[in-house]
Amino acid sequence: MNERVAIVGVGWAGFRPKTPDLSYKEMIYQAAVRAYHDAKVDPRTDVDSFVTVAEDFHEGTSIADEYTPDQLGAVMKPMQTITGDGLHGLATAVMLVRTGLCRIVVVEGHSKASNILTLDSITAYAQDPVLNRPLRLNTHMVAGLEMNRYLHESGTDEEACAAVVVKNRRNALRNPLTSFGADLTLDEVLAGPPLAWPLGVHQTARPVDGAVVMVLANEQVARSLTDRPIWIAGIGWCNDTPSLESRSWATLPYLEQAAHMAYRQAGIRTPFEEIDFAEIDDTYAYKELQSIEALGLCGFGEAGALLKEGVFDLDGAFPVNASGGSLGAGHLLDATGLHRALEAVLQLRGEAGAHQLEDVQVALVQSWRGVPTTSGAVAVLTN
Amino acid sequence: MSLLQPDPQAPSVWRDNLPVTSRYTYGLAGERFFRILKDEGKIIGSICAACGATYVPARAFCERCMAELTEWTDVGLVGELHTFTVLFVDMEGRPLDEPELVGFVRFGDGGILHKLDADPDDLQIGMKMEAVLKPKAERIGAITDILGFRPVT
Ligand SMILES: [Zn+2]
Repeated sequence: MNERVAIVGVGWAGFRPKTPDLSYKEMIYQAAVRAYHDAKVDPRTDVDSFVTVAEDFHEGTSIADEYTPDQLGAVMKPMQTITGDGLHGLATAVMLVRTGLCRIVVVEGHSKASNILTLDSITAYAQDPVLNRPLRLNTHMVAGLEMNRYLHESGTDEEACAAVVVKNRRNALRNPLTSFGADLTLDEVLAGPPLAWPLGVHQTARPVDGAVVMVLANEQVARSLTDRPIWIAGIGWCNDTPSLESRSWATLPYLEQAAHMAYRQAGIRTPFEEIDFAEIDDTYAYKELQSIEALGLCGFGEAGALLKEGVFDLDGAFPVNASGGSLGAGHLLDATGLHRALEAVLQLRGEAGAHQLEDVQVALVQSWRGVPTTSGAVAVLTN
Repeated sequence: MSLLQPDPQAPSVWRDNLPVTSRYTYGLAGERFFRILKDEGKIIGSICAACGATYVPARAFCERCMAELTEWTDVGLVGELHTFTVLFVDMEGRPLDEPELVGFVRFGDGGILHKLDADPDDLQIGMKMEAVLKPKAERIGAITDILGFRPVT
């Protein structure tokens, strides 16, 4: 077993609401070339296996995994596609390296959301076909139901959720890889149009286009390629029941499990003390608070007050979504977990630019596959 | 690669769509649940004695311990409003003329997700809600045999 796995190269294209000039393959190609240059590897000779995350309905192509090799340099190479979030792809790559089967593995995720003309209908097609879909309801209702029960049980108020939006979109102003940077007030967020009350439109991340490619290697190879490897110290994932009828509406037990798995591998007992910052789910503003609690950074119902105190600010004790998150950068569909991992890598390398955090060694990355799923994935990265 | 010069005359995209039509088999538990809803106007659940859990709607197996479930129970038409939302967009994402009230009404350890017939200002988490069914002659054995839930008066 090769115990340690490192990210030795990252590349991206985007992220913006529309990319009318590039096909999805050209977008991935740009990200891949950048990642291979960053890692100083040749995909045709050095990379042992490739992993893509993609969802056929998002791609607009059946068996979309057959369309992934060429733009990555993976033709005539071992290649697989995971229907999951980017962190599920990262977990698969970690396993390929840790078994010793591969020395260098590439992970890719992308979103060409601007070409999906019926995204809400596709998401609705993920509802239970017999129990839920016949009601013909927009799937944001799952988020509205969850947010209402979360606020009720945790005692969190709507202002705390609005404060997540204010923080993340303000952070995004410092990050050129974002599209929705803004200096908003709590009142402006709260007065915005409703979507699935108590959830508002401003509290919901908008989809954007982009691609992320990462190159992973075992310790020996990583040390030969770079003097600044970013180690994947732990990675975990977990799903709750898919049933809307038997899940918890206020808490995220599956995310607690995914975090335990990642923390156990990384040897982390007190995440708030041992981790320096986090890039986590904010697909909907309340999810950031719910996720902070499920990740064990504070107790249930405490995240809102801590957030309002500024603990999770860019200059706070524990910055959360310093990048601007999905609310500030936009949501990259299946590539979202890799987007957060990318932001964490740039921070740990000291390359984040205007939103660079000082003196950071340990990062927490987390993702969720969105409504109506109960899917959590967590990674701990170190420099 | 650089940005293309925008040219409104240039061909830039191809459009296509896929009509997807599927059948969804109710299965042993689903068929029984919907037959009893249609014929008797009742909501039934299934019980896992080992886990002490009552699944509503009824299921054929326990997701906690994987036991086969063979004990059925009538849970009545009145449940507890666990959470609710007011939806402002339709299934395709277009704005709704009339916002839609949606709730999760708890029965046993499960419940029913459905539309609510109420004034949103009157709704409170924890209140009792009763299922309003279509007349028997119009019921077909589907979740839409329930028109929705309204507060118990
Ligand atoms: Zn059981």
